[in-house]
Amino acid sequence: MKSIKTISLARREAMAGYAFIIPWIIGFLIFTIGPMLASLYFSFTDYNIVDPPNWVGLDNYIRVFSGIPEFFRTGDTRQLGDPIFWKALQVTIYFASLALPLNLIFSFSLAVLLNQKVPGVNVWRTIYFLPSIISGVAVTLLWIRILNPRMGILNPFLQNVLGINNPPGWLQDPNWAVPALVIMSLWGVGGSMIIYLAGLQGIPTDLYDAAKVDGANAWQRFWNVTFPMMTPVLFYNLVLGMIGTFQYFTEVYVATSGTGGPQRATLFYNLYLYQNAFRYFDMGYASTLAWILFIIVLALTALIFRSSDMWVYYEGQLRGKQ
Amino acid sequence: MKSNFFKLLAVLVLTSLMLTACGGGAAPAEKAKVTIFVGFGTGTDPDQVAAQEALAKKFNESHTDTELEFLIVPVEESTERYLAMVAGGNAPQLVGPHGISTIAKFKDQWEDVTPYIEKEKYDMSDFYGPSTTLNKYPDLNAGLPLGLYPSFIFYNKDAFDAAGVAYPTHDYADTSWNIDAMKEMAIKMTLDANDKTPADADFDPATIKQWGYADTWTDFRGQMTMFGASTKGRPTSDDYKTAQVNSAEWLFGAQWLHDGVFKDHFIPDAAGQGAIDAASGDPFGGGHVAMWYSHTWYMSEGLNDLPFKYDIAPLFYNQNGDRISRIHADLFTMPKTAKNKDAAWEVMKWLVAPEQIIDVCKIYGCLPARQSSQEAYLKYLNERYPGIDYDVIFTAIDYLDDPSHESWVPEWGKVNDTLNNTQTTIYTDSEADIEALINLTNEDVQKILDEYWASK
Repeated sequence: MKSIKTISLARREAMAGYAFIIPWIIGFLIFTIGPMLASLYFSFTDYNIVDPPNWVGLDNYIRVFSGIPEFFRTGDTRQLGDPIFWKALQVTIYFASLALPLNLIFSFSLAVLLNQKVPGVNVWRTIYFLPSIISGVAVTLLWIRILNPRMGILNPFLQNVLGINNPPGWLQDPNWAVPALVIMSLWGVGGSMIIYLAGLQGIPTDLYDAAKVDGANAWQRFWNVTFPMMTPVLFYNLVLGMIGTFQYFTEVYVATSGTGGPQRATLFYNLYLYQNAFRYFDMGYASTLAWILFIIVLALTALIFRSSDMWVYYEGQLRGKQ
Repeated sequence: MKSNFFKLLAVLVLTSLMLTACGGGAAPAEKAKVTIFVGFGTGTDPDQVAAQEALAKKFNESHTDTELEFLIVPVEESTERYLAMVAGGNAPQLVGPHGISTIAKFKDQWEDVTPYIEKEKYDMSDFYGPSTTLNKYPDLNAGLPLGLYPSFIFYNKDAFDAAGVAYPTHDYADTSWNIDAMKEMAIKMTLDANDKTPADADFDPATIKQWGYADTWTDFRGQMTMFGASTKGRPTSDDYKTAQVNSAEWLFGAQWLHDGVFKDHFIPDAAGQGAIDAASGDPFGGGHVAMWYSHTWYMSEGLNDLPFKYDIAPLFYNQNGDRISRIHADLFTMPKTAKNKDAAWEVMKWLVAPEQIIDVCKIYGCLPARQSSQEAYLKYLNERYPGIDYDVIFTAIDYLDDPSHESWVPEWGKVNDTLNNTQTTIYTDSEADIEALINLTNEDVQKILDEYWASK
C-alpha cells in the first residue's frame, strides 16, 4: 500500500474531490439514474403499478406513432394511433413557441432597463424579482381570478381603458387558454431577469468606452457590445426555458383541475403523461411518453447547442476559432 | 486467577440482566394492525380527523387482538400515496369511506367480500336494498354498505319569494314538477346586474349575478343520468362493448344543458362557474343559484349559517315523465394485497354495525345504510338542520340511478375524461353543434372500448 506521502498532489486533490461528490453521485444513481432506467424498462411493458409489469416490446411506441401515413393521406387526426398524444404535443409546442421568446424578450428588456443608473433602482429590481419567488400554485390561483371573464380585473381594463368590446374568455375559451397561460408565465420573468442583470454588470466598461471613442451611439453600443456579450446568458436562459416549457405542468394542473380543458386546449404533454400514469394507471405508456419527451428535449437542446457556434460570443473569442 | 473469576462473574451477571430485561417473561401476542386509508372521499376535515381518532380509540379500548388507526391523506395526494403504498407491498388494510367511483377506478384491486359474508352467513337484511347492489359487480362485492347520499334540489326560499315564484312541491307523486316547470321557474329567478331576467328584452347575460339552476358539482355522466337512458348513468351497453353516449336521452340532455347555458341563460356557463368559484366557491350557499341539485354530502359543506331561508325538494320529472335521482354510496373496502385481511373484515363489520353506524355516518355526512338506524338518524338530522323536509331525502332513494353514473366501465378514467371533455365544450362553446359533438364523443368512447376488449 502506498503511503499518503507518495501520492501526488494532483491525485490527492482528485481523491478529495471524489470524496466530496460521492454523496451526490450516490443520490444521482439511486434517485435519478435508477428511476430513469426503471422507466425505460417500464416503457416496454404493460404496467398498472399494482400487478407485475408485463413485457409488450415496442407496443407502447407503436401506439404513439401508428396511423401517421393514414393521417397524412386523409388529414383526419382520428386515424392516428393516439390522437391525444399529438394534441398534447401540439399544445406544448404552441405554448413554447409563444412563451419562450416572450419570456426571453421581457426578461432581457427588464434587465436592460433595470441596469440603468436611475434613482431607486434596487427597489425596482426587488419589485420585478419578487413575483418569481411566489409558488406556481399561488400565482395560478391569483391569475385565475384576474383572467376570469366575469369578475376578473383584466377584461374590464381591456374594455374600459383599451376599448376592446369583446375581450377574450381566456381560460374558458379554447382559443385563448394557451395565450392566457403565456401571460401567466410572464409573471415569473424576474428569475431570468436577475441572471441577465448579473451578465450585464459583467460586461467590461472598456468595451463601451472604446465604442464611444469610435463614435457609437446608444443603439450601436447596445447592438454591437451589449447584445453580443450577453449571448452566453441568452443561450443559457434559452436552454433552460426550452426545457421548462416542455415540462410545464403545475400551473395548468391547478388552472384546469388536471383536465387540460376546455376541449383539451390546455392538455400539455406532461399533463397527458400524468393522466396516463395516475388517472388511467397505465404506467407503461406513461413511461413511453416520458422517454419520447426526453428524446424531443434532448434533440432540441442538441440543436440549440449546435446553433450556438453561429450566435453565441464569448469574451476574447475570435469568430470561428477557439 | 481471582481477577479472571470476578470478570467472568461480572459478564455472567450482566448477560443475565440483559436477557431478563429483553425477555420480560412470556411475550404478549402481537396485535393485528388495521390501517384505514382515508383520502379518496370525505374524512379529511380537521373535525372529521378528530372524530375518527376518537372512533379508533373506542375500537382499540374494546379489542385486544386488533389495533385500528386512521391514515389521513389529503384528497389531492390520495391516488399517488395509495398507489405507492400498494406498489411498495404496504397496502392499507381498509380504504374508505369512498364511493362508487373509487370502487370503479380501482375495480380489479379490491377483495371480494362475498366469501366472508357467506362463511359467516352475515345478515344483510337490515341494509337498504340499493346500498347492497350499487357497489356490486358479477365478480366483485366491494364491501359492507356504510352510507347513502341521495340527491335532491336545494332551493333558496328568499329567491323564490323575491321572484314571486311558488316553491317546488315536496310530493314525489306530483308530476307537474317536471323539467319544463323547473326551467320556467329558473328563468324567472335568473338575474343580471340590473335585476333583469332572461325574459326581459334588455337582459344582459354577461352580468348575471344569480342563476336559476345549477348542477355543476358532478361530471358529464352525473348530469346526463336524470334524462333516463336505458343504462341510466352508464355510457355503454350491458356487456360494456358498445358506446351509448348518443342515446336519444343523452342527446336531449346535452342539448337541454347547452340551451340552458347559452339560449335561456338560467344555467351558469364556464365563466360563470369560474366566477362563482372565485367569489365563494359555493354556488348555493354563496347565493349564486336559486335551485341547486346536489347530494346529502352538500349539507355538511354548504348549509351552515346561510343568510337566507332554504328547503329541499325532489328532483323534477324528466322529459319522458321519469325521475332518475342519482345517488352516491360509501363503504370501506379491502385491497386484495393487504395483510391481516381477517382483522380488516372484523373492523369493517364493526364500523357498519348497528352500534356504530350512526356515529360513523355523523362523521361523514351519509345516511346510514341500515334501515333500523333511520329513525335515530332522522332525529339527529332534525336537530342538526331543523326545518328541512326529510321525507324528501329518504324517498329519493327509491328513484336512484342503477347503473350508477359513477359505475365501472372499461378504461373508466379515459372514458370519463372523454365525456368530461365534451362537457367543457357544452359549457364553453355557444356555437357548438351538440348532435355532432355527442356523435363524435360516442365514436371516441367506442374506440376506447374496442381497444380495451382487443387487449383482453
